[in-house]
Amino acid sequence: MTTFAELLLGGVALGSVYALIALGFVVIFRATEVVNFAHASLLLAGGYVTAVLHDDIGFWPALAAGIAGAALVGAAVEFLVMRRYRGRDHSVLAIVTIGVDILLTTELARRIGTDVLSPGDPWGDAVVTIGSVTIAQTRIAAFLAAALLITAFLLAFRFTSWGVAMRAAAESPSTAALMGVRLGRVSLGAWAVAGGLAAVAALFLTVFPTPGLERSTSLAALKAFPAAILGGLDSTTGALVGGLLVGVTESLATGYQGDLTFLGRGIGDLAPYLVMVVVLLIRPAGLFGTKELARV
Amino acid sequence: MSDTLTRPRTYLWALGAVLLLALPFYLERFWLQAGLFAMAAAIGAIGINLLTGSTGQLSMGHAFFLAVGAYGYCAFAGDGSDGLSGLGLPGWLAAVGAVALAGAAGGLFSPIAGRLRGAYLGIATLALIFIGQHVLFNAHDLTGGFNGRAVPPLSLLGVTFDESELLVAQVPFGAAEKLWYLGLALLLGSALFARGVLRGRPGRALNAIRDHRIAAGVLGIPVARYRAAAFVLSSMYAGLAGVLLALVFQRTVPEYFGMLLSLEYLAMIVIGGLGSVAGAVVGGVFVSLLPQVLNRYSDALPLVSAPGTGGIAPGEASRYLYGAAVVAVVLFLPGGLVRLAARRPAPPSGTTAEER
Amino acid sequence: MTMRRHRRLAATLTALVALTAAAGCSSKAKSGDDAGGQGADGVKTGRGVDAKTIQLGVLTDMTGVYATLGKSVTQAQQLYVKQLNAAGGVCGRTVELTVRDHGYDPQKALAGYTELEPKVLGFPQFIGSPFVAAVKQRIDGQDKGLVLPQAWSASLLGSGHIRVIGSTYDIETINAVDFLLKEKGLRKGDKLGHVYFEGDYGENALKGSKHAAEKAGLSVVEQKIKPTDNDMSAQVAALKQAGVKAIVLSAGPRQAASLVGVAAAVKLTVPVIGNNSAFAPQLLATQAGPALEKMYYVASPSLPIGADTPVAKKLVADYKAAYPKDALDNGVVAGWSAAQVFGEALKKACADKDLTREGVGKALLTLNAHDAGFGMTHDFSDPKAPSSRQSAVIQPDKSVPGGARVVREPQVSDAAKAFTPGA
Repeated sequence: MTTFAELLLGGVALGSVYALIALGFVVIFRATEVVNFAHASLLLAGGYVTAVLHDDIGFWPALAAGIAGAALVGAAVEFLVMRRYRGRDHSVLAIVTIGVDILLTTELARRIGTDVLSPGDPWGDAVVTIGSVTIAQTRIAAFLAAALLITAFLLAFRFTSWGVAMRAAAESPSTAALMGVRLGRVSLGAWAVAGGLAAVAALFLTVFPTPGLERSTSLAALKAFPAAILGGLDSTTGALVGGLLVGVTESLATGYQGDLTFLGRGIGDLAPYLVMVVVLLIRPAGLFGTKELARV
Repeated sequence: MSDTLTRPRTYLWALGAVLLLALPFYLERFWLQAGLFAMAAAIGAIGINLLTGSTGQLSMGHAFFLAVGAYGYCAFAGDGSDGLSGLGLPGWLAAVGAVALAGAAGGLFSPIAGRLRGAYLGIATLALIFIGQHVLFNAHDLTGGFNGRAVPPLSLLGVTFDESELLVAQVPFGAAEKLWYLGLALLLGSALFARGVLRGRPGRALNAIRDHRIAAGVLGIPVARYRAAAFVLSSMYAGLAGVLLALVFQRTVPEYFGMLLSLEYLAMIVIGGLGSVAGAVVGGVFVSLLPQVLNRYSDALPLVSAPGTGGIAPGEASRYLYGAAVVAVVLFLPGGLVRLAARRPAPPSGTTAEER
Repeated sequence: MTMRRHRRLAATLTALVALTAAAGCSSKAKSGDDAGGQGADGVKTGRGVDAKTIQLGVLTDMTGVYATLGKSVTQAQQLYVKQLNAAGGVCGRTVELTVRDHGYDPQKALAGYTELEPKVLGFPQFIGSPFVAAVKQRIDGQDKGLVLPQAWSASLLGSGHIRVIGSTYDIETINAVDFLLKEKGLRKGDKLGHVYFEGDYGENALKGSKHAAEKAGLSVVEQKIKPTDNDMSAQVAALKQAGVKAIVLSAGPRQAASLVGVAAAVKLTVPVIGNNSAFAPQLLATQAGPALEKMYYVASPSLPIGADTPVAKKLVADYKAAYPKDALDNGVVAGWSAAQVFGEALKKACADKDLTREGVGKALLTLNAHDAGFGMTHDFSDPKAPSSRQSAVIQPDKSVPGGARVVREPQVSDAAKAFTPGA
């Protein structure tokens, strides 16, 4: 029971980090209908800035710089690249983001080299014990930060003019443009927000129990793909639910892999994808995604 | 068409053909092998171009079907002497079987593919990569696990495509030289077949589906059937590329069939030109030769430094280049590198890059 | 369409004619013996050797998953070669290394081998055992150059040309379990956790732990992970649940840091012992540093770089002078040792006046008591056996160069003596 509770809590905390990444992914998709495969590199960029700066300026300013840095990179990608392609086929745009990802990841990986960079967070390896269940402080911090950010985001999405513009643009770009929504700004904002969220996620992916930031940290962003799709690519609620689902599935499948040996060992990484395929078979647009209505 | 013999293109074709056929007599094994990788990549790229370029279905799972082809060939042709399951079929039959198997795998996935669109399909196909890698590492009896399995050499018309030396006009022909001709033949066949498909009715139907799925349905095109067929056909191309790669590698390596490979294939068709056979070939050759050339001449290139001396390693340089190529080609050369050669006007911006 | 076909046909025919005409003047055409000959000094030479130089190839990974290892190994080998040449080279020839970085990509690795093979005498470094396996047929069949892979998997044994230096992972793991039994209070009936990478390294090590467990009456609790898994909390939770009394780790340094850190945090205070690839001195600077120094051990095929031997001390000083910015880790020892074995084989082959590939292979077989200066002797006379069955046990320690000190001198456990690797 204790193990189950530990795995579940760990999974929820991890899942909330995935939800942050998936949320950024969904925001870009809603604003521009582009699947952003460059998300992994935004994450790496944010984590890198934080990890490099914390020694000189302290952890919190470094984190702020990391968030700003990733947001800036996101905005730059939008402004320098994606903006020039607006209106093109979305599959082609998705492949363009792959090109961007290759460029950014190669550059960051080269800078990181063979190092393992510590994010310099204040939590260290401290743990909290409730009854017989032990959980790392970093996990609690991850969960709280994700909950806070996601709530703030959902409120902003609902009530601020930026959120309204964003939703209008997602509903119908041309109508929104006619109504005075500046699509360029909406899309720029979406990329920046996604970058910022990814930077926060990067922090929590590199704190204890992981040793630190290294070149393959960005691979964690791959987990956000099934998360975003599970929930429905255009649904913010979906990103949240999908993230949690992926985190919990992964944690439980890894923890109980001894009982799942008939599937082959090391099933933990695969489990989220299996869940995703099952969900998509039943609901092709994900759990919360809008079913497509097409007019000819 | 009666002016064929007076058109310069005819002679260009002939010259190109002579050159390609003569290369094994002059090039060292490194270049032949690089060329074979490029041919395999070109065949695979033609396949994914049918799917993503012509039908608009984004697939990140191409590497999985390559793996099915490569491992399928080993399993069909293997005689079980290495302790791994094998049917011991003759090589050519095993190759045909492997291609069919890849097609069947595509067919099995198509109920999912048929239900999903665009981005959803793209990410769902990612699952194939992860499932594929899991199986490759775990189904030890079939795949040989982490160390892969040895690829039985192919025998065709009395020629065995292995290291045994065959003297042709005083030049010793090893595996690479012999496979070169097989690769050329396969590539030519694949390209002609794909061109036939794209220039005919099915091609127009596929393009109509890409450009407007609903409208295509209204026009009476059986959308679901065509989409599934494109998926199967593309998987078969991947399977064939996988067989050729396996023959060149002489051993299947599970790590190879990962997500990076799928991404490379997508990069190929964008760089070469979406929706066109020639584009796929050009893109495949470009992406697979680039790192090899840079690696080989790293000592002589400016900005690129030999490994271990700091600075930009050749591997990194080639990644920069082809990342930038993807972005730049879509930006400045919609329609890909083939546009450059054909010197035809690009389609007005704002439309999809379409060309056949 | 028909005209087009005619055009192709014509092209093909022209090509064939041209081919037969041109083949005669191809440089690839066989012209007698290309196996080399004899130098002016009476030394038989072959591919990769001329009157002035001996060419060696290095296939490494500096931009992929094994970048840390590849960098250290390569730099150590470059250092060795530099010193070798400064001391006059071998046979009056200078040794030159050509490095190709494959970034752990099978296609580039194969390309690198194909490119370098015709030009070099052998390979003192080849990272990535699946790639070595991929070209094994060519190495054994026709190329016959000496290849020293930087991998310690038993699947590489048995070839006369691919030689593993030091104990293989299975033997190393058996020795590691022996250490736990003899010195860390592990007893019959206990459960032993084993966290291992999928792939060659982890699964070879698992064979060792299973063998050792069977001999000692332990049961193994398996946890398989991927090289991209950096968070070991779920694994630790599972192992804690199972009630393991000790843990063997066959993974990378990052997994070691995470596993030990988490285990310490959840009060699973059992000894953890890793294979030699599961440690890097950089880890001591992470959050897990103190826990590593307390409960982590590493089994190693040689003494660590910080060992108290003259060779180790000199290597530390020289490496620091040559690469002041880079960490001293066991990759340096591995690279140095391999280069040294190759160098010794070359010298021996020179003494026998035969610097061909066959000559070097033969020379290596006569090295049956090679002391690399890191506490153990290697016997290369049997290609089916690893060159040594000894393992040292080291413990992370910040105050020592290379971050580790010796806690048990190199030795062979009884279980390891009786074990046939690769069986």
